[in-house]
Amino acid sequence: MTTHIIGFLFLLATLFPGCADKDAEPNYTAASSVVASEKNLAKSDGRGMKDGSDLETARIGAMTGTIGEFYVEEHFLDAKHLLFDDINDAIVALRSRQVDYVITAYTTALLASRHNKDIGLLPKKHINEPAAVAVKKGNYELVEKMNAVIHRMKEDGSLEDLIERWLEQDGGDYDGPKNPAGADVPVLKVGVAANREPMCFVRDNKIVGLDCELIETIAADIGMRVEYMDMKFSALINALESGRAEVIVSNFTVTEERREKVLFTEDYFTNPQIMMTLKGADDMVQVDDASGLFAKIKKSFYNNLIRENRWKLIIEGLKATLIITLFAALLGTIIGALVCAMRMSRSHLMNGIARVYIDIMRGTPLLVMLMILFYVVFASTGLSAMVVAIITFALNMAAYSSEMFRTSIESVDPGQKEAGLSMGFTKVRTFIYIILPQAVRKVIPIYKGEVISLLKMTSIVGYIAVVDLTKASDIIRSRTFDAFFPLIVVAIIYFILSWLLGVGIDYINQKVSSAK
Amino acid sequence: MIRVEHLKKNFGQLEVLRDVNANITKGEIISIIGPSGTGKSTFLRCLNLLDQPSGGEIFIEDENIMDKKANVAKIRQKMGMVFQHFYLFDHLTVLQNVTIGPMKLRGKSKVEAAERGMELLKMVGLAEKADAYPRNLSGGQKQRVAIARCLSMDPEIILFDEPTSALDPTMVSEVLGVIRSLAKQGMTMVIVTHEMSFARDVSTRIFYMDEGVIYEEATPEQLFDNPQREKTRKFINRIRNLEYRINSPDYDLYALNSEIEAFCQKHFFSPRMQHNILLLTEECLQVVPLTGGLDYLLTYSEKSSQVSLELILPASTGLIFSADKEPDTISLAIINGLTESLTESIVDDSLIIEMILKKVK
Repeated sequence: MTTHIIGFLFLLATLFPGCADKDAEPNYTAASSVVASEKNLAKSDGRGMKDGSDLETARIGAMTGTIGEFYVEEHFLDAKHLLFDDINDAIVALRSRQVDYVITAYTTALLASRHNKDIGLLPKKHINEPAAVAVKKGNYELVEKMNAVIHRMKEDGSLEDLIERWLEQDGGDYDGPKNPAGADVPVLKVGVAANREPMCFVRDNKIVGLDCELIETIAADIGMRVEYMDMKFSALINALESGRAEVIVSNFTVTEERREKVLFTEDYFTNPQIMMTLKGADDMVQVDDASGLFAKIKKSFYNNLIRENRWKLIIEGLKATLIITLFAALLGTIIGALVCAMRMSRSHLMNGIARVYIDIMRGTPLLVMLMILFYVVFASTGLSAMVVAIITFALNMAAYSSEMFRTSIESVDPGQKEAGLSMGFTKVRTFIYIILPQAVRKVIPIYKGEVISLLKMTSIVGYIAVVDLTKASDIIRSRTFDAFFPLIVVAIIYFILSWLLGVGIDYINQKVSSAK
Repeated sequence: MIRVEHLKKNFGQLEVLRDVNANITKGEIISIIGPSGTGKSTFLRCLNLLDQPSGGEIFIEDENIMDKKANVAKIRQKMGMVFQHFYLFDHLTVLQNVTIGPMKLRGKSKVEAAERGMELLKMVGLAEKADAYPRNLSGGQKQRVAIARCLSMDPEIILFDEPTSALDPTMVSEVLGVIRSLAKQGMTMVIVTHEMSFARDVSTRIFYMDEGVIYEEATPEQLFDNPQREKTRKFINRIRNLEYRINSPDYDLYALNSEIEAFCQKHFFSPRMQHNILLLTEECLQVVPLTGGLDYLLTYSEKSSQVSLELILPASTGLIFSADKEPDTISLAIINGLTESLTESIVDDSLIIEMILKKVK
C-alpha cells in the first residue's frame, strides 16, 4: 500500500514544475514548492521556517478526533496540544502564532499550503496508516459486500485511477453520482466531514471528493444510492453508533481504538500525517499577486461567493437559520407559556415538573443538549436534523421564556388583580384583560433579546449536519482556505438579521400597544 | 342589604377577626374607625371575598356569598371597591378605565360605554383627562378616577378601603369632596378611614373596631363626644393628641414639624394656628435642656376647642420657668406671647410643663 502513495506523490511532482529540490527527501520532492528544503530551514531565529526540531516542546494544533490528535498526544508528551474542528481555524491559529505546528493529512496540508503562500510543510511523515470505510458494528454483511467491491477495484486498477484523478486533477471529468436513482432503491446513509479537499468537500454546492466517488461507486455496485450527512469530523463515530449513519467515509484512518467501536472495510488509501508550519520572512519571496486592499477584497469576494455559485450555499444556510429560529421561537413561546402556567400552578406536582424542566434546560449547555437529542433521544426516530434542531432550540427557548413570562406576570402589581376581581371580572378574564396586557408590555424588551440570542445560538447546528449560515461559511472556508472573508460575510448577515428581528418585534410591540 | 354573622378571619395563627356581626341597610353610610391592625380593612375585603373568611356568614341582599354555588363575580359587580392605592389599570387610559367594565361585563357598546364614562369623569371633575394614562395623574386624580371606575358598574354599595391614606394632605379634600357628593346622592357606602372629622360629618353610623370585633357602634355624635367603652374612649382621646419622643439634642426637627403640620391639617387648624404651634414648639425646645430627652404631647380638645402643649422631662432637670435664673429672655417673651397659661410642676420623677395656646381669631 505504501508504494501506492509514493507513486502518487511522484505523480504530484509533475504538477509543480521547476520546484523540485534534489536534496530533499525523495518522497516529497514532488511538492517542494511548499515543502521546506533542508537548506531553507533556519533554527528559530524568526527569519526562517521552523524545522521541527522543537516539536517536543512546541504548541501543536490538531483536528479533534483525528489520528493526528492521537499521534501528538502519544509522541509529544511535553508539547502543548490545541484542538480544532476545522483546518481553517488551525491555519488562522498558525498565522496568529497561537500554535507552532499543525498536524494534518498530507493531502489536506498540500492544498492548504497551495492556497496560503505563508504555510510551509515539514518533510517528515509521522503516521502512515491506511484509511478505510467505517461501518456500524455488527453489520458484517455490508462490510463483506463493500470489501468485494474494493477488492475488485484494486484488482482492475480502477481504484488507482480514481485516486490519481482526485489527487492530480480535482476529480477530472467526474460529475456526481452515477448511482441508480428512484424511490425504490435502498438508501445508504453516509456520514462525511466535507471539509477536506480532495478527500471529501463541497464543490458547486455538492459534496464530492475521492471518498465520495469511492463510496458512490461501491453503493452503485451493491444496488444502493448514497445520501450524505455532512457533520463535524469528531461527531462522525457518534452518528454511526446512534444509527444516524450506516457508513462513514472521510479519510478515516484505521486505529485499534476505533476498531473497538466500528467495523472497517479493506483500506483504500494511505495518507500520511505531516506537520504544517509558518514560513519565515526569508521564505516569503513570492509576493501576493493581488495588489491593493480593494483588489484583495474583490478577489476574496469572487473566490468565496461567486465561484461555483457559492453564494447559493449562503442562501441555503440563511434559509435554514431563519427556519430554525422562527419555528423554534414560535414553538418555544408556546411551550414556554405552558411551562409558565405549570410553574405558577398551585399543584405541587405541576410546579415541581416545571421547575425541574427549567433547571435542566438552563443548566446544560445547548450544544450538549442538541447532541443528546440528536444522537440519543431522537436517534431511532429518524427525525431530520432540522426538526431535531427546531425542537432543541424550542425547548431551550421555552425554559428561558417561561421564566421571563412568570417574572413579568408576577411583577404586575397584585392590586391590579384585586381591582379586576372587585369589579366583577372572573379570575380568567382578569388575567386576560388586566394582567396579560401589562405583563406582555414588560416582557417584550427581554423577549426581543432572547429571540436575537436564539438566532445567534442556532450557529451550532452544524454539529448535527444541518447546513446553516455558519456551516455554510465553514464549507466555503474549507474550499477557499480563506479564513476571514466568509466569516465576516456571515457575521454581517447575522448582524442584519438580528437587527431586522429587533425591528420586527418592536413593530409588533407598537401595534399591540396602540391597539389597546 | 349587607348582613354579617359571626365572621371570622385568621391569617395562619393570627386571629384578625374574631366574631364580627353587622347589619347595613340601604342608604347607610358606615365609617369604620379604629387603631391600625384591628382588621378594619380585612373586614371590608371579606365583604367582597378578596379575603376568604375563615368562618361565619355574609349575606348580600339575602344571598349567602360564601355559598359554594354563589356567583361571586356577579355579586362583586353590585359591590364596588375603592382601594388605598387606587389600582387603576395602568395600561389603559382614564376613559378606558371607566369603560372596560361596562363593555366586557355588561356587554355595552363602545359608544354607549364612552358616553356614560365621560359623564362619570365629568362628575369627578376629570373629563379633561379622559385620554391621559394613570401614570400622568396625581394621587388625588387617580383616586377620583378609581371612584368613577367603580361607579361605571352602577354598584349598589361602594366599599372604600382607606381612600385617602396614600394621598398628600393637599389632595385629601378633593377625594373626600367626591365621596361627600356620593353621600348626598344616597349611595350606600362602607368607608374605612382615618379622617375622623370626615367620618363624623358624612357617616350615618360609625363602627369602632378593636379586639377582632365591632367593639362599639353608634352615631357619629355619640361615638366622638360620648364614647361608652374604655378602649373607644382612649382611641378618641388619642386621635386628638400628637405624641413625639425626643431622645437627644440631635433630634429631627423637620420630622417633628411635619407631624405637627399633619396634625394641624387633620383638625383643620387655621394656618395662623399652625404657625403658632410650630413657633412655640421651636422656642420651647430652645429653652428646655434636651440632654435627658423629653416627651412632646400636643392635644386638641374639640369641646373647648383648646390646643395645649405638654412637655415631660426628667425631674432632675429642675424647674425652668419658675426658677430664679434668667433664661433666654427673647425666647421667653415669645413663649409668653403665644400662650394663655404656662404651668410647671414636678410629679413623681417627672417635670411637667403645660402650656395652653392662645386662640386665634
